[in-house]
Amino acid sequence: MKPRENSLLPLEDAREAALFFVVGALCFLAALAALSAKSTYGAARAWTAQVEGEYTVSLSGADATAADEAARLLSGLDGVITARAFSDAEINALLEPNFGKSGLPADLPVPRLIAVTGAADAEGLGARISTALHDAGHTGAVDAHAEWAGDVRRMLSISRIAALSIVALLSATAIAVIAFATHAALLARRDIVDVLHVAGAKDRFIAGLFERRFWLLGLRAGTVGALLALASVAILITLGRSGAERSGLLPQLSLDFPDLAVLVVTPVIAGLAARLAAGITVMRSLRSVM
Amino acid sequence: MTQLRPDMFDEAAVHLDGVSLRYDSTEEILSGIDLVLKPASFSFLTGASGAGKSSLLKLLYLAQPPSRGEVSLFGRPTGRLSRDELSAMRRRVGVVFQEFRLLNHLTAYENVALPLRVMGRKESQYRRDVEELLRWVGLGERLHKRPETLSGGEQQRVAIARAVVTQPNLLIADEPTGNVDPDMAARLMRLFYELNKRLGTTVVIATHDLGLIRQIDAPVYRLADGMLVQENGEGAPTARRRTDPLRAMR
Repeated sequence: MKPRENSLLPLEDAREAALFFVVGALCFLAALAALSAKSTYGAARAWTAQVEGEYTVSLSGADATAADEAARLLSGLDGVITARAFSDAEINALLEPNFGKSGLPADLPVPRLIAVTGAADAEGLGARISTALHDAGHTGAVDAHAEWAGDVRRMLSISRIAALSIVALLSATAIAVIAFATHAALLARRDIVDVLHVAGAKDRFIAGLFERRFWLLGLRAGTVGALLALASVAILITLGRSGAERSGLLPQLSLDFPDLAVLVVTPVIAGLAARLAAGITVMRSLRSVM
Repeated sequence: MTQLRPDMFDEAAVHLDGVSLRYDSTEEILSGIDLVLKPASFSFLTGASGAGKSSLLKLLYLAQPPSRGEVSLFGRPTGRLSRDELSAMRRRVGVVFQEFRLLNHLTAYENVALPLRVMGRKESQYRRDVEELLRWVGLGERLHKRPETLSGGEQQRVAIARAVVTQPNLLIADEPTGNVDPDMAARLMRLFYELNKRLGTTVVIATHDLGLIRQIDAPVYRLADGMLVQENGEGAPTARRRTDPLRAMR
């Protein structure tokens, strides 16, 4: 049987194996950074949506009955969806990290708490709650969660920008590495390029050989990087779930459709970047000869 | 020096007009060379090592532009051609390199087929021709061997087969018989001659083999001190010479 015709470029050598590793590692980091950016964005949205319209009222010198009364009063305010006084058990649970399981000292003046949920479009609700309580003879403070949620939102935005910058930096690094490697490959295979050139191969034909080679290299290395990122995220999700009660405000990694799309697109982008870098490098290099 | 007439240029396969070559800031390797080779002519190029033979051949197979002057092939000045046109022009030129320049990752068959692949031909279109050509140069049993497993002479024959497989208009061979026995040398010269006579291929052979040069009735150009001089004949390399250049070898 006649052997299959070989590619005009030789099979991969050690240099390309090293490049495969570098591109794979960069794709892994870029995919992970992209997933982090996306999760941070999702967490910021979900969290701010959750606290928007949330208020905590703390009543000083009030007992449980007065707190229930105040909650009923607030429930009737325009724009309030729910108002609920915290029970003793709930207050004890909140303070347990500071006072332990034995509960609060009986003589400690602890404010009673009321959780109020208002409509997101209710204007000046915080001020109206304060006025209503004051008019009813209660002394207390109203804490609108949205006021300090803004700080968290800004922090998450900065984190997102940082993650996207890292993605951009890693992508640029990958392209630069590939361009450098292509140039080195071209120099190492100058003999082949010369023979093809003398045989009448057009620049595009020669560039096409390198483009195909590096497209496949980028695609394969990107796939390995994306699969490693997928495995890492899966591990992080598992670990995150096992310590869910401590996860607090940290963005939660997920593996929904957009995340999987990021992982699928990563090898394609790596392949295209590699192909583009190879094509430009070869064309530039060929233009330096007749 | 050759007496040039204006009507020679349009029909010349090769026309070097005042061509000089220097690399970077070094001295000129070739100085003011004028040469006209008619289509279907057969010529030898000789000269001492370092005389600039390889540089002159590079100009002919369009691997190097001249520093001064103009190189025209088949009636077209190459200095004004686009890159794609230069590629198309190179496809009309077959080159046998002294160091063969075979691709070691390809088999003998694939090396010979390389110019055809570059031209976009399908393997089904050329397989028989390539196999036949390799059989003709005595490599029928070595089709799928890689160059590193072939002897120097076998590699040289693969290189020659690669240069002629496209039936080029101009064939340039640098010491093409340097590594083969006299019988094979005669056979290869017969191939060049057949190409020259039957297909009208213009053949330029650079060689040190004075015996070979003496045996064949063809113009000989000698490079010395960057200048090209015609050594034999009537000083008219463009004259129509339709004699059988291999008559002395029979």
